[in-house]
Order: sequence, then structure tokens, then C-alpha cells
Amino acid sequence: MSVRPAGDFKTSYVQDMAILDTRSYRLGFAVLVAGLLLAPWWAGRFIFLLNTIGIYAVGACGLGLLTGFTGQISLGHAAFMAIGAYSSAFLSQALRFPFLIALPVTSLITFLFGVVVGLPSLRIKGLYLAIATLAFQFLTEYALIHATGGIGSTTVPPIVIGGWTVRTDRQFYYIVLVVWLAAGAFAANLVRSRIGLAFMAVRDRDYAAQVLGLDLLYYKALAFGIAAGYAGIAGSLWAHYNRLITTEQFNIGASIDYVAMIVIGGLTSAWGPHLGSAFVWSLSQGLQIFTPAVLAVFPAFGKIATPLREIVFGVTLIALLIWEPGGLAMLLRKLKRKLDLWPFAY
Amino acid sequence: MSEFLLSGLLNGLAVGSIYALIALGFALLYKSTKILNLAHGELVLFGGYLAIALTRAVPFPVAVVLTLLAAAVLGFTVERVIMRPLFGQPLLSVIIVTLALGYVVRGLMVGIWGGSTRNFPQVLPGGIVRVAGIPIQPAGVYSAVTAACLLLGFWLFFRYSLVGIAMRAAANDQLTASTLGVSLRRVFAYAWAFASIAGAVGGILLGLWLGVNFALGFVGLKALAAVILGGLDSIPGAILGGVTIGIIETIAGGYIDANIIYGFKDITAFVVILLVLLVRPYGLFGTEHVERGRSMWNDSEIPGTRDRGNGGTRKNPSDRVAYRGNAA
Repeated sequence: MSVRPAGDFKTSYVQDMAILDTRSYRLGFAVLVAGLLLAPWWAGRFIFLLNTIGIYAVGACGLGLLTGFTGQISLGHAAFMAIGAYSSAFLSQALRFPFLIALPVTSLITFLFGVVVGLPSLRIKGLYLAIATLAFQFLTEYALIHATGGIGSTTVPPIVIGGWTVRTDRQFYYIVLVVWLAAGAFAANLVRSRIGLAFMAVRDRDYAAQVLGLDLLYYKALAFGIAAGYAGIAGSLWAHYNRLITTEQFNIGASIDYVAMIVIGGLTSAWGPHLGSAFVWSLSQGLQIFTPAVLAVFPAFGKIATPLREIVFGVTLIALLIWEPGGLAMLLRKLKRKLDLWPFAY
Repeated sequence: MSEFLLSGLLNGLAVGSIYALIALGFALLYKSTKILNLAHGELVLFGGYLAIALTRAVPFPVAVVLTLLAAAVLGFTVERVIMRPLFGQPLLSVIIVTLALGYVVRGLMVGIWGGSTRNFPQVLPGGIVRVAGIPIQPAGVYSAVTAACLLLGFWLFFRYSLVGIAMRAAANDQLTASTLGVSLRRVFAYAWAFASIAGAVGGILLGLWLGVNFALGFVGLKALAAVILGGLDSIPGAILGGVTIGIIETIAGGYIDANIIYGFKDITAFVVILLVLLVRPYGLFGTEHVERGRSMWNDSEIPGTRDRGNGGTRKNPSDRVAYRGNAA
């Protein structure tokens, strides 16, 4: 498939730093982007699925940076998304901010929240950090319910850019796509930068990183901030997409979904969050289509049909963690290697 | 006011003793296997639902015994099928796998028993018992007494039985215990079975008191608060933490609920978690962890980052795959 020359034939730094470093990678990526651009023509009524995948992929990108690259486990990612969604709703509803300003402002707000939540991570680590973020998740939900007067739901105006009002799923898709590609490219480049290298040093051994002269507090807080900023963008998009947000959309289940996405996709891969989001949402949509079809044939199946998503989800996660902890990204790499070497074993 | 406090104290003690029992399962499992079981709430639910389903067919005491047996089998199965292949895997994998386990158990229960609240048939005398002039539900008294008996039983077990001593040895130092002939696998299996049993008993007791529905699963998180407060690897700490959480929740939560802001009772546990983690992360009685080198269990917290130095961004990962073989 993507045949690599046996030696290293890169002759300039630009070539060496390129993310898509062979012709087939570049071609493949171009085909992928073209396919996504033309999605409204081939996806039909499933364009909403692509919207959801895109929005959640943006959020998962942030969590991937935080957990996969900085090693900070967070079980409260959906809380940041909720903060993003509600602040975006507030900005565009009460303050009449246009979307193009509300989006970055939202991201900034959640970034600051993320930094504050990230500060204790200097002291609390690993398991304890996971529990602390879990507590943060519940407290945020509670605070949001009370902040909205006990209802927990609020409406959001549609996106208006210039004189163009975004009304349909198809129009919204292009906004999601732009943000999605930008977010993915930013994350893929960030992990190669000085900051990304520092993140990985913190992940691999935080004390060693400190001895090397990295400011732990700065990088951990920054990682939380960036992750939360991503979640805020996802939340803002989600709010404008759904137009009606409730706290239930961002409950602990959503946080676990996020972690599931990055684990399923592959934690230490730039592609991981995107693959994970696509897998998780396609699976749940697939089950929604598949279940009634099976019910028509086996009515006895009915009792187990309601929680089928949870069960399939749980089993997939367990199986993947036992057999392939590297996730889908690693599976793809292995598949590619098999194909490259075929018919030889190595 | 003093009446409110006394009533809160007694009710809190009753509910706290159940939390203590559930937290004991948590702490026991963490102590001997270093696994934080986030599916513990689901094990509690499992006990409650199964016991209710069984009381329709057999008398209540038989149903309880059968439920405990089933819980033990569930614990053994989980250890054998899910946890053993993940032995020594990074922290994140273990956390996620317990969450996924919770999904599966919960999903199966929704599938079998539906989502509505179910109640035990009347097995305890009804009416109101007065303790020191304070009205309290009889289920609360029974729960407190049962929980106390069970806690005593667990204590005797760990103090005198061979398996219990082996489990304590493994909890103290897995490697040393293993070289001295303690089978870690067996210890882990027993730890899962006991945690599961403790959860199931908690589920039955809470079910007798409040009925069983899926909100009961959150009790697992309250038990989490209890073990954090007491110290994750301390069994007396878990017991004390459980009782304390019960009392704090009933008195402080009840007071704030009624007078300041509604619904605070349900999040008291999380406020406690955050405060404890910020002030004293190892809890009241937990071992203070001094970081020195790398332990053999949590070599890395994130899966896929074992071989360090490239962080997964290396362009040509195939040589890494070759290096690791197909072992994955």
C-alpha cells in the first residue's frame, strides 16, 4: 500500500517534519478530505451522524491531549463541554454575541476553567486525580441545574455568520467540518511542538520531567486548559447544533463516552480521537437501526433491546483493553504492516 | 434543633453503617488488588435486584443466601474473565475496564428487570421504632445491626482464618507474600468475591429500607467518598468513613437541603471527596504514599506508552510492532 523506501531519503528539514510524509499518505488524506467535503451528497439523512461525530471528535481531541499525551486521567471531560455549551448559550442568547466571537470566547472561558481544575493535579495524581475529576463532573452538573433555576435546560439561537443563518444539518455540517479539521490539525501539530514534547515528558515520568527543568505546574495546568478549551468548542458547537441543551446531555455517561472514545481510538495517536468518535457514534447509530430489525424477527429479544447500547459498549471496551490496548489506531498500523509485508511474516 | 441533630445522628448512623459495609468491599478490593472498582455501585444493585427476584420464589432467608452465593460467583467470574488478563496493566486500562463492567452489568439488569423501582415484600416488622425518643424506621435499626455483625465477621475472618491472613499479607506486600507461597491469583479471586458479597449485602439492606432502583447505583459513589475519607487502603478507615459520610450526609445535607439550597444532600459525598483530596489525599488512615522509583504494578498509567521515548508520534511505528512481536 503505502510503500516506504528502504532508506531514509529525506533531504530537507521540511520533508523530515511533514506529518503526511509519503505520496500515498498525502493522496489518502486528500481523498479523505474530499470525501468529507462531499459528505452531504453521499451521507443523505445520516449527515446528522457526521455532525455528531465531528463535534465529539473535537472534544475527544482535547481529552486525547490531556490523557494520552500528558497522562492526566480525567473523568469529567463532559463537564467542560457543559460549561462551554452553557456559556455559549449565555453569550449568544443574553449578550447577543455573534457565533464567530462567541466560539473563541467560550473556548477561552473553558480554558480558564480547565486551568483552575488542573491546578490540583500537581498534588493529586493518577487514581486520586480521576476521582477528583469525577467529583468535579457531578458538582458541575449540580451547579448548572441550580444556575438555570432548577430546570437545567436552555435554548440557543441559531448560528448567524454575516447575513447567513445556519438552519439545516447540511449547512451546519460545513461549520463542524471547518472546526473539526482545524482542531485536528492543531492537535497533531501541538504534540510535535516543544509543548507537546513537554507533555509527553510529564506523562512518562513527571519527576524526571521536573528534573529536566520543565515547570510541572505550568504544563499540567496548560494541558488541562487546552483539553477544556477543546471541550468548550465542542460544547459551543453542540449547543448551536441542538438549539436546546439540558444537563443530561453532559452527564457522567458522556464523560465516560469521551474516555471510551479515546481508548477505543488509540490513546497515543493523533488519529485516535477521530477514529474513536466515529466508531462510538456509528456503533450507537448502527444499533438503533439494527435493534428494530432484529425485534421484528425475534420478539423475545425485546427486553434486552433497551440497554443494548450499554452492553455492546461495555463488551467492546473490555475486549479492546484485553486484546489491543493500543486501540483502533494500533489495529490499523498492524493491518498496514501485514499488508506491506504480505506474503511474508516479517 | 437538638432533636434534629439527634435524629440525624441516629439515621445517619444507620445509613452510614450500610455505606461502611459497601465501602469495606471497596477498600478490601483496593487493598489487595490495587484496583479501584468503579462498578461497585452496580454490584450493590445486583444484590438488591437479585434478592427481590428470588424472594418471589423462595423464603427471604434462602433468597439472601442464594444472592450472596450468586454475588460470590459473579466476583470470581469478573476476576477470572476480565481482571486476570489485565493483571499489571496501566491504571487507565483498569479504571476504564471497571467502568465498562459497570455498563455491562447495569445493561443486563435493565434488560432483565426493567428500570422501575422494586420493593421487597414485607419481611421486617412495620411501624416506627423509637430509639431514645427519636422515631426511626425499623429497617434502619436492622441494617445497622446486620452491618455491625458483618463488619465484626469480616474482622474475625481477617484476624484468624488462613485465607484472611494470606489476603492481608498480599495487601501488605504483594511480591513478598507471593515469594512466601501466597497464591496471588487466589487472593485476588477471594478479594473480588468478598467485595461483591459486601456490595450485595449493602444492596439488600438498602433495598429493604428504600426499595431498589437505579438511583441506588450512586451509593457506590458514596462508598467511594467513604473510602477516600478513610484512606483507600485502610479497612477501619473505610468503616469509619462510611459512618461519617452517612452522618454528614444526613445532618449537613439535610440541613442545607431544607434551609439553603435544594438537592445538596446528594452531592455532599462529592464535596467531601474534593475537600479530602485537596487537604489529605491519602485519607485519615491510609498509607501516605512516598514516591520513590517505580512500582512493579503501575509502571505506566496510560496504555500504549510502555516503551518510552517516542510517545506514539513516531512516523514509522512498524518497527515498534516488530520489536514487541505479536504479543500486543
